[in-house]
Amino acid sequence: MRLTAAESPDFADLALAVQLRGLSYYFGQGDLRKQVLFDIDLDLPTGQIVIMTGPSGSGKTTLLTLIGALRSAYQGSLRVLGQELVGLGDRQRVQIRRNIGFIFQAHNLFESLTAAQNVEMAVELLGDFDTKRAKAVKVLTQLGLADRVSYKPEALSGGQKQRVAIARALVNQPRLILADEPTAALDKKSGRDVVTLMQKLAKEQQRTILMVTHDNRILDVADRIIDLVDGRLESDQSFDSFGQSHDPQSRDRRTLIL
Amino acid sequence: MWKRTPLAILNLIHDRRKFVTSLGGVGFAVLLMFLFMGFMNALYDSQLQLLNQLNGEIVMINRLKSNMFVPIAFARRRLYQARAYAGVEAAYPIYISDANWKNPETKKTRPVRVLAFNLGDPVLLLPEILAHLDQLKLPNTAIIDTKSRAEVGPTQAGITTELAERQIQIVGTYSIGTDFASGNGNLIMSDLNFLRYFANRGPEEDERSFATADLGLIKVKPGTDIDRLVAALQQNIPNDVLILARDGPEGFVARERAYWQENTNIGFIFTLLTTMGFVVGIILVYQILYTDVADHWAEYATLKAMGYKNSFLFGIVTQEAIALSLLGFIPGFLVAALLYKLAGEATGLLFQMTLQRVALIYGMTLAMCLISAAIAVRKVQSTDPAEVFG
Repeated sequence: MRLTAAESPDFADLALAVQLRGLSYYFGQGDLRKQVLFDIDLDLPTGQIVIMTGPSGSGKTTLLTLIGALRSAYQGSLRVLGQELVGLGDRQRVQIRRNIGFIFQAHNLFESLTAAQNVEMAVELLGDFDTKRAKAVKVLTQLGLADRVSYKPEALSGGQKQRVAIARALVNQPRLILADEPTAALDKKSGRDVVTLMQKLAKEQQRTILMVTHDNRILDVADRIIDLVDGRLESDQSFDSFGQSHDPQSRDRRTLIL
Repeated sequence: MWKRTPLAILNLIHDRRKFVTSLGGVGFAVLLMFLFMGFMNALYDSQLQLLNQLNGEIVMINRLKSNMFVPIAFARRRLYQARAYAGVEAAYPIYISDANWKNPETKKTRPVRVLAFNLGDPVLLLPEILAHLDQLKLPNTAIIDTKSRAEVGPTQAGITTELAERQIQIVGTYSIGTDFASGNGNLIMSDLNFLRYFANRGPEEDERSFATADLGLIKVKPGTDIDRLVAALQQNIPNDVLILARDGPEGFVARERAYWQENTNIGFIFTLLTTMGFVVGIILVYQILYTDVADHWAEYATLKAMGYKNSFLFGIVTQEAIALSLLGFIPGFLVAALLYKLAGEATGLLFQMTLQRVALIYGMTLAMCLISAAIAVRKVQSTDPAEVFG
């Protein structure tokens, strides 16, 4: 079964890219079993950029890997791009993943491949060999790398490498993009450029983006900011209200009163 | 398939220095296998190089002569009897004896093998031998094998020294090579000269005469069914002699080879050494492949996250293994070919690089790389793409 995002009719007019109901997740087995996610309800409408924050160990990455079909969920309901993931086998999850774009903290590009070849590896997944070069060049051009197409990663700057990685995640036009600290390894300007690009794509092409980040500099691109603490959804708010509640000055004032 | 990005090859050759080192490692394992197999085959093949040169399709020996090392002769009249059968064109006696040869330089004596036949009989058709037939008719003359071992001293025409405590003059050289039975070297002389040296050797040595021969060579007429003739001869001639076709699976040459295979440790020792080369190769290639997988762990895991299956990654590692086996084999083969030549010149043994043996070693190289790939790939398959996050 080869399924592309573009070919599937139900993805396009899907109101909710991701829908979680009562999702719980455990690590380990038997006596060592430890619950890391508690009864999470979450909707990600198509076209939204959602940033997930929270202290380390709060389960952000676990949640991201569950939505990305990298782990099996057993309890609750987890619908991604219209398909229920709870109870799916390994093979089916591999298929689901082909409709999702992943962006990691590290660029994870093959040093032996040029920028274009790294991107083409994603196109080949769909069995699309004839137009793979054109597709790769097109998406790299969109990301401002037209003159770096034949460069190997070692000849690219950190920001350029991360943009190649983003190109690889975007080339198949997935409806859902999951990003884990995509700006952590970048300087301020590169990080800004990268998220601006992602924001532009989300708005223009109705992509849904779920991004885990600690980088306060980029929170303003989000439509929503959700806060995960100890495996529970603590808050779900717009950027403006998040800014007020997390404003160090207002917080300081409160602590002074207490 | 060929439209895919050739990730395996590109990963392999990306770091040129590491790639060359890898090829060196595989090539070294290939070289080890070639050398040990080569020595084993050289020891076997060398036993047969004289026999393969004999100009006759059927061989007659004493039934008790289980191999060329056993100095038992048979009655020469058996050869005359054989001449009576339809299909037999000629039957030639060959006389063989060991004798002490005095090295003309160090004056130390060494045993050598003397081969003699009637110069009128076309027993050995080597051009070097045919060229010296006239000179061999002179008394106390012989020609010497240039592939004799160094202990024999210089091997060239014009040397005068002692053979079996009797003066001998070397009038020429030829080239066949040594084997277990030949001691340090080979001489060829006429049957008359053979009598001069070995008819009266003193009280404790066997006296030789034309009544017995060590090897009988039967030349058949063209178009004769050799197997049927052998059967007929064996059935009708008294069975104190053994009559065998020279070639074929039941033949004289195969019997000689089988004797050395079954009665010496050569096969065991060199098979063990070849196996060790094989195992060393597995470990080397495993190291190479495992390092590639471990170094690119995050990249491979990313491929899995993107939706590539384990079978794709298995294919990548397998392609790397096959590429290594091919590219590492070439330098290993070339160096081995050179060493075969050098070892052949140094020992007088016959180092043959036949297509079959090259194919066998390549098959082993491929197996070596695939086994390593099968071990190394477990690392990729156990890679959990979820771990790339965080």
